[in-house]
Amino acid sequence: MLEHKDDSSKKALDYSKFYGGKVTVAPNVPVRSLDDFSIWYTPGVAAVSKIIESDPELSFEYTGRWNTVAVVTDGSRVLGLGNIGPEGALPVMEGKALIYNYLGGVNAIPLPIRVKDEEGIIEFVKALEPSIGGVNLEDIESPKCFNVLERLRSEMKIPVWHDDQQGTAGVTLAALFNALELTGRKLRGARIVLFGAGAANIAAERLLVKAGADPRDLIVLDSKGILHPEREDMDKLLLRNKWKHDIAMRTNGDRISGGLKDALKGADALVAAAGQGPDMIRKDEIAVMNKRAIAFFLANPVPEMLPPAAHAAGAEIIATGRSDYPNQVNNSLLFPAIFRGALDVRARTITDTMVIEAAKQLSAFAREKGINKNYIIPTMLQWEVYPRVAATVGQAAVKEGVARKKLSKKESLRVAMEMIEHSRKVMNALRRNGIILDPPE
Amino acid sequence: MQIRRAKKEDLGSVADLIVRTKKLNNEFDPLFAVVSDAKARAEKHVTASIDAPDKLLLVAVEGQKVVGVIRAEMHTRLFYEPHQEGLITDFYILPEYRRKALGNDMVQQASGELKKMGAQIIVADVPAQNEIANRFYAKRGFRALTNLLGKSP
Repeated sequence: MLEHKDDSSKKALDYSKFYGGKVTVAPNVPVRSLDDFSIWYTPGVAAVSKIIESDPELSFEYTGRWNTVAVVTDGSRVLGLGNIGPEGALPVMEGKALIYNYLGGVNAIPLPIRVKDEEGIIEFVKALEPSIGGVNLEDIESPKCFNVLERLRSEMKIPVWHDDQQGTAGVTLAALFNALELTGRKLRGARIVLFGAGAANIAAERLLVKAGADPRDLIVLDSKGILHPEREDMDKLLLRNKWKHDIAMRTNGDRISGGLKDALKGADALVAAAGQGPDMIRKDEIAVMNKRAIAFFLANPVPEMLPPAAHAAGAEIIATGRSDYPNQVNNSLLFPAIFRGALDVRARTITDTMVIEAAKQLSAFAREKGINKNYIIPTMLQWEVYPRVAATVGQAAVKEGVARKKLSKKESLRVAMEMIEHSRKVMNALRRNGIILDPPE
Repeated sequence: MQIRRAKKEDLGSVADLIVRTKKLNNEFDPLFAVVSDAKARAEKHVTASIDAPDKLLLVAVEGQKVVGVIRAEMHTRLFYEPHQEGLITDFYILPEYRRKALGNDMVQQASGELKKMGAQIIVADVPAQNEIANRFYAKRGFRALTNLLGKSP
């Protein structure tokens, strides 16, 4: 495994230098002769500008705004690397933009920015609004990311998404739906422990409750232990992290206090998003869970506990964030499709209901293929899942009343298929014609 | 929920809540750093308050559980009228019991008791930076009377 990582690191360094950037701006219109510039640019373009001036919403029809997403970070919490600054974050944002393009047909622009504080991020993203159809916030530290997302969602008229919150939580939910199904449980009534109270699990708690879980059956832990209303630091949380404070108030109906083992006694499922393993969680902690236990270890690159150890301790269904174990809970299953669907209907926002519907579609797809303990969620290779999830998201946006363009389910699916297939065709054509070269050996 | 005078058996819990108040104040201002033996000091402080005729110690209880405390004492204002003031020195409610009008009820009840003890005005001592406490009292008609200014030497 270590060799595998070293190999991909070396290739990443060599190839990144060879290509000098993973994405590029490419034309979308023909240039038959230089005369065409009088259409695409001045003087013809002035007519397009004037019509948009009269109704700025037309910018979604006459420009590429509708299919453009900004991938914005301040570089304050990049992967497991911490605060590495905006330049350090750029390769990651480029990679994200590439996935958006290849799996979702979305034009994504990597934009790491140098700002002082959360107000700086908010101001920048709001200023971008006229040029883009959506925003993907990425790798912004907690709790700053909660404030930024909440403010931007309420103050902007385009979807703002924080993948470390909604993306991870959405895919987790999809995997959990099928794990519960396989072990004969319902979400309502399942005792679920969320270990780690960062971006992913704070959002997971909210989505779980909106999807039907009883908050009293959820237990959330941070680095200081189980969250409950009488914890010593509750007033501090009230002032510094109201999201965690509110979770402490509404979850943990039995008012359990203590550590992970106390939380796991009699628990049905564990979702760990707590930090690098492999020894963050012990076997004796997993062993006190209910029979047919579900355990997700989402830290990358090293899960909080390795699957063989969790299995030996009694966990039946295990998922991680990694591709070299079964059941990869991977954001890339969701965000390209979420934005594909949202952009196709020109959504004003991405509601929690849209995310839950997307998660349900992801899990339904896996169920159709036949779920088992090693297959509770689709893989990235099953690309046909993307247009299906996109169409579901588009329909949910229409139902929620946040869509500017009301496509039918059939139209949503058709547009999503076309857009995603188009991206794949472009990639194939560019490679076939030697415009994108294969990397040097 | 019952609001009543504190009894001896309440004092351990009351001291805990008093320490929480002080720690909350520290969240707003580093000049309110809480001493390491705050609990022992708080126990002394509340024990001395329980039977003193010029002090008031009220608790809110749910069953046997103390969920809120308010401590006040009578002061004489040497140069000003009205002379007698009832000063609320400490006030805390556990997070789970907030936003249920309990705070309002406790301040009302404390004000009534202080009035019976001779108070002509009710004042509350809160850190200037504690915006939660300031907002709470302002909503109930309190206004700033003095400003205690401070700095490290």
